Amino acid sequence: MKLVVTTQERDLAASLRELFATHCPPELVRALREPGGERVPEKLWASLVAAEVLALPFGEDVGGAGGTLDDLAVVYAEAGRALCPTVVLSTLHLGLAVAALGSAEQQSRVLTPLCRGELRGAVALASPYDAADVRPTLRAERIGGDRVAVSGRLDHVLDADLADRVLATATLTTYGEPDRLVGVLLDPRAPGLTLTALPTSDSDRLQQLDLDHVVVPAADVLTGPEGAGLATDGVRRVALLVRALQCVDMAAGADAVLERTVAHVRGREQFGRAIASFQAAQHLVADVHIAVRAARLAARSAVFWHGRGRPAVRETAVAVLRAATAYRRATLDGHQLHGGMGYVVETDLHLWSERARLLGALGGGPDVAAGWLEEEIARG
Amino acid sequence: MDFELDTEQRAWQEEVRAFLREHVTPALRAELAEHDLEKRDGELMAFRRKIGEKGWFGLNWPVEHGGLGLGPIFQHLLVSEFEYWGVPGPDLTVTSVAPMIMRHGSDRNKAEFLTPIARGEMVCAVGYSEPGAGTDLASLRTRAVLEGTMEDGEWVINGAKTWNSGAQRSTHEWLCVRTDPDAPKHRGISVIIVPIDHPGVTIRPLTAWSGYRTNEAFFDDVRVPATNLIGEVNKGWRYITGALDLERGALTNAGDLRRAVDDLLELARQPRRDGVVPANDPTVRRRLAHLDADVEVATLMGFEAASLLDEGVIPSVEVSVEKIFTSELRQRIAEVALDLLGPDGLLGHRTAAAPDDGRFERLYRIAPLLRFGAGTNEVLRDVIAQRGHAMPSYGR
Repeated sequence: MKLVVTTQERDLAASLRELFATHCPPELVRALREPGGERVPEKLWASLVAAEVLALPFGEDVGGAGGTLDDLAVVYAEAGRALCPTVVLSTLHLGLAVAALGSAEQQSRVLTPLCRGELRGAVALASPYDAADVRPTLRAERIGGDRVAVSGRLDHVLDADLADRVLATATLTTYGEPDRLVGVLLDPRAPGLTLTALPTSDSDRLQQLDLDHVVVPAADVLTGPEGAGLATDGVRRVALLVRALQCVDMAAGADAVLERTVAHVRGREQFGRAIASFQAAQHLVADVHIAVRAARLAARSAVFWHGRGRPAVRETAVAVLRAATAYRRATLDGHQLHGGMGYVVETDLHLWSERARLLGALGGGPDVAAGWLEEEIARG
Repeated sequence: MDFELDTEQRAWQEEVRAFLREHVTPALRAELAEHDLEKRDGELMAFRRKIGEKGWFGLNWPVEHGGLGLGPIFQHLLVSEFEYWGVPGPDLTVTSVAPMIMRHGSDRNKAEFLTPIARGEMVCAVGYSEPGAGTDLASLRTRAVLEGTMEDGEWVINGAKTWNSGAQRSTHEWLCVRTDPDAPKHRGISVIIVPIDHPGVTIRPLTAWSGYRTNEAFFDDVRVPATNLIGEVNKGWRYITGALDLERGALTNAGDLRRAVDDLLELARQPRRDGVVPANDPTVRRRLAHLDADVEVATLMGFEAASLLDEGVIPSVEVSVEKIFTSELRQRIAEVALDLLGPDGLLGHRTAAAPDDGRFERLYRIAPLLRFGAGTNEVLRDVIAQRGHAMPSYGR
């Protein structure tokens, strides 16, 4: 037990901060949101691949860099500060899911190009309303030669329009056998699959996927050991790991907003003195600081325990409760302290405010996370 | 960052738990339930002696000062366990006074005071606040005048202190005095150790809303050797603020909060006098879930501060964060308890009909103390903004 940043973590963070400062400035974040513009940040992507960020948490046998989830948390923190486009993170989520749930052959086939930056991905492993709810909405049935046909609807899938593969789960029904939970690696351009943008106010990254008898080859069906189906707990573990990593993103994003806000109030004068010299302003800053520190510790703890093989439902719940509220608070109080200066869309503050909204809601916010804890309380 | 206790730390936690299982007797609990802690001898003092025999008062001190050299994380684990069990362990004397003596004291200070503190034989009340100087500590007026030389002279002390907690069972005062009335107010302050049974020292009880006894202390021509000055003359403000940072660190341990929420969860599953089981109400469960989560966060904050201390840093911004977070959380726990228990929660501490012996009735009355005590949360918010984010002082 030692809750201080290690030298290795500090060095990794410093090099990533520099990378993001160079290749992921707010202008890029803004440009990616422009209607009709580029959606994939090619130069950033290339630099992340060169820095082995996409390969970081995966085994060397599949071309990964053999890092840990704690290392990955450092990536998420720097990515969160810089508002790294979510397609990068969605791709990592696909990799983490396949690493946890796929066969050796599937791992090699998906992770090797993913580590090289040649495959973009997204996941739909849990309800977008509740990351702990991994009941599949898709149905699969066997057709000839172990292929399956998948039908149903997936809602609010982040970055599905940019992905080469989307990993979803489905209930596989076979006549005379019990239903099984399987994963399906979907090609968003496959026949029978319709993508519909669900426009959010900042861009169209959320997609609705309608599947009508989409044929998935056997090699792209994740059936677990012995083909007996995936364990629900295993799928939930990945979904909660993703949520925990997003909490690191949220805590760090909130911290970045706090820094920007402090810089603004120190420079901006009203009534003949810096806004920063007013006690009311200082106390808002202090309260955001407290919320950010709490969020950061809770989020890092959740990722740590995932990395140690714990299901970590409890730790993830605490992280969501703290991180989602801290990011909202940092951005909303940030708007308050910036006043009109930060409220116009010409300035960048609202870019973080949008990320706070997105990550606070997707997978379930504080109420949902509190519900995970309540189950424990009800059980006694 | 490493969130898992290592083998040695787990073994230590188990050793502390084994000690508590053996020595926290019903008789000790009964005496603690009286919560006045006034007795100079009794179960609590016997318990203190056992801690002293183990060397646990100086467990994180360097070996050359009579400590065990185990470090802040071990101390944190011990204090957390003691708090979870609801028994007093190492107090401010060992957690904040002694480290300041080690860091800033003269060789003579160290030789004279550290060993008895480690043995639990010397216990200090901290004399900071005065009737005219509470939160605005630097405006303190208790005077000390040197008669003779620093080698063989005496300090003559006059003044009064308030909120002098524990003075009735302490052996000494860690007394903050003004030694240069002409200097700017932070620069004319010194710290002097005063034996509490010295002629001219008068202790008068003050009872807090929580039922807790604190004191006023009066110093009339009290004479102590010049060598009882800690460190250098007029440099006391550094020692006081350093000790306060450490004090807040010690006060912010979440062991008692973990226990309070565990007990509250248990209580919520029992029928009240009206037969209702509060935990059956989903809104109650929701509120409890939030408390449960926040105690986890408070626990992490405690480990973070201990880890920083272990790195040799006095974590002043971090403990300010923790102190605000834990004190406001303690208040919320008490509020939820009051709502959840309804009229049952009004039944007085130490009455048989009160749920859990009135633990939450008392907690509600204790909760305000740590929100304003040990530096008000408002001043600590200033500390976070000003030390943590270089926001300008507005001349308070």
